[in-house]
Amino acid sequence: MKKKALALIITGIFTLSLGLTGCGGSKKASDTVKIGWIGSLTGDQAVWGQCESNTVKMVIDDLNKNGGLLGKQVQLVPYDTRGDGTEAVNAVKRLTGQDKVIGIIGPNASGQAIPISSVLEEMKVPDIATVATNPKVTIVDGKVKPYNFRVCFIDPYQGAAAAGYAYDVLKAKNAAILYDVADDYSQGLTQFFEKTFTEKGGKIVAKEAFKTGDVDFRAPLTKIKESNPDVIFMPYFFKEVALSSKQARELGIKATLMGGDGWPSEQLISMAKDAVEGSYFVNHLDFNDPEVAGFRAKYKTAFGKDVELNGFLAYDATNMLIDAVKRANSFDPIKITAALETTNMTGITGKIIIGKDTHNPENKDAAIIKIVNGEYIFQQKYAVH
Amino acid sequence: MTNFLQQLINGLSIGSVYALMAVGYSLVYSIMNFSNFAHGGVIMFGAYFGYFFITLYKLPFPVAFIASGLCAGILAVVIQRIAYKPLMDRKAPFLYFIISAMGVSIFLENIVVATIGPTFRTYPAIFSEIPIKIGALNIGRIDLMMFVISAICLGFLIYLIDFTKIGKAIQATAYNMKASTLMGINADRIIIIVFAVGGILAGLAGVLFGMKYTVYPQIGNITIKSFIAAVFGGLGSIKGAVIGSILLGVIETLASGYFSSQYRDLIAFALLIFILIVRPVGLMGKVTEDKA
Repeated sequence: MKKKALALIITGIFTLSLGLTGCGGSKKASDTVKIGWIGSLTGDQAVWGQCESNTVKMVIDDLNKNGGLLGKQVQLVPYDTRGDGTEAVNAVKRLTGQDKVIGIIGPNASGQAIPISSVLEEMKVPDIATVATNPKVTIVDGKVKPYNFRVCFIDPYQGAAAAGYAYDVLKAKNAAILYDVADDYSQGLTQFFEKTFTEKGGKIVAKEAFKTGDVDFRAPLTKIKESNPDVIFMPYFFKEVALSSKQARELGIKATLMGGDGWPSEQLISMAKDAVEGSYFVNHLDFNDPEVAGFRAKYKTAFGKDVELNGFLAYDATNMLIDAVKRANSFDPIKITAALETTNMTGITGKIIIGKDTHNPENKDAAIIKIVNGEYIFQQKYAVH
Repeated sequence: MTNFLQQLINGLSIGSVYALMAVGYSLVYSIMNFSNFAHGGVIMFGAYFGYFFITLYKLPFPVAFIASGLCAGILAVVIQRIAYKPLMDRKAPFLYFIISAMGVSIFLENIVVATIGPTFRTYPAIFSEIPIKIGALNIGRIDLMMFVISAICLGFLIYLIDFTKIGKAIQATAYNMKASTLMGINADRIIIIVFAVGGILAGLAGVLFGMKYTVYPQIGNITIKSFIAAVFGGLGSIKGAVIGSILLGVIETLASGYFSSQYRDLIAFALLIFILIVRPVGLMGKVTEDKA
């Protein structure tokens, strides 16, 4: 009898709390409007996700202090995707169904940005991805996805830029590629690097793969070493870059290493400073550009850490959404989406002119960065031709 | 030829990582007859213990190394007391143990994420990163160390099990727990000793793993490979776990090097299925109940 009573009490508490959470959603404050953010607050890319959410919060706090958006205060609703596509879909369902946001910023990774489009289309809410570079985020089968946008360049551009720079400037004739077979981003970059490099006359002497989460790359690296490349392209994220570059040097590989925008992070330097010395990667902007110094200083003062790449793009994405809301002069997500399609503004990462058919910023410059002595030294702006 | 030898060395070094992880796992299986999924969590904690002993408390490496092992051993015993003993006392079916173990493993991973944080840490370079060169071959110093330490630990374990009174008691408990208590063996104490030893090995494996790669909360997931290795070599057989691990490491690496790196994990898991079909007791597992 005692056990039964206990069970009943617990069931009662759960039911009560369910009812309360259900009630909470329908209460609407008429003087605030909500903007959502999704990204990795935990997991491998937590460093980037946390930087993004900090930046978006910073922008929105400033906005609120200066009178808010179209007279209303803005509330940020952030959700952790843990770096997982399924979690991202769940988060977007909650943001659009329960929180009723007018727009969503993020995620940073294509692996999460691609699956959320079906929910966005169903609920008709726009999303601006920050650093998701796979073409499939905004265009699939030649058709543009109506509610997906981004502020960054895309992988074809990035992969081609890396390949072009390797062939034209570094004068590499043979290249090897080590990529992550379980990641859309890595696969995309690999595909376009290979295409451009061979079109220019270079030769891909080895193409080896690993799976996300692997820590030991010496088997594929030994095979790459045998093929004797001038350059090794490593299009994946900084944790695996740090491990694989260290292991490559341990095996005696002397080739120049190259990568994409998944590289830059303080952790890459702290983990593999010597291994990545003299390497190149494609980035969205020059960190040391004087025009972004103000933003960098502000972030450092507010959060005590250096801002990561994602911060710059999150800043622009948030301002892009705010700009669209002002031009639409409405909080209706459908009108905001229409306004997003005609975005023409200058952000801290460069000109952002959104193409109506692609929802991507057109002709955005890529920056080639070289790692010298643990510092990211800007080499040149590179445009693909 | 050098390519083959280099790949062989790569495989042996990965294999010794799996070996140290698989042995503790196999030891517990031989006594308790269930898969301790929390073993991965203990390994991960071992890596973190080592990291903090070295960076925060500035202990010299040998001291930190042994201290991490001991702390991990204590952790393993605590886990046994909290998560498994109550089930044993109630004679719960084995499924409950596995669920409990999974719960512990999820708990361990997430408590680290929630408190210490998800960003990965790197051990300060204690051993020179410059590999030892023999001709055109490169052997990492840490790999050599791992191999040697694994050999020492395993040698010690075999001595413990085969040549000491406690070892005999462990073997007896593994054979038949009830009958061994009739012989005057305190089964509860033996279980604690087994978990402690398994935990110490896990802790040492964790430190070596952290030194060789990096420290992050999801290290426990790598132990899936150790599970395959233990099954491959024969669950419950220590020597089997070691041989299975080394073989798995070598086969994986050679398959990746000569066949296709994309299919590496596929080959590892296909091997597991193949063994379960052809020889379910594993390479060294005996068809009778003789374990450990």
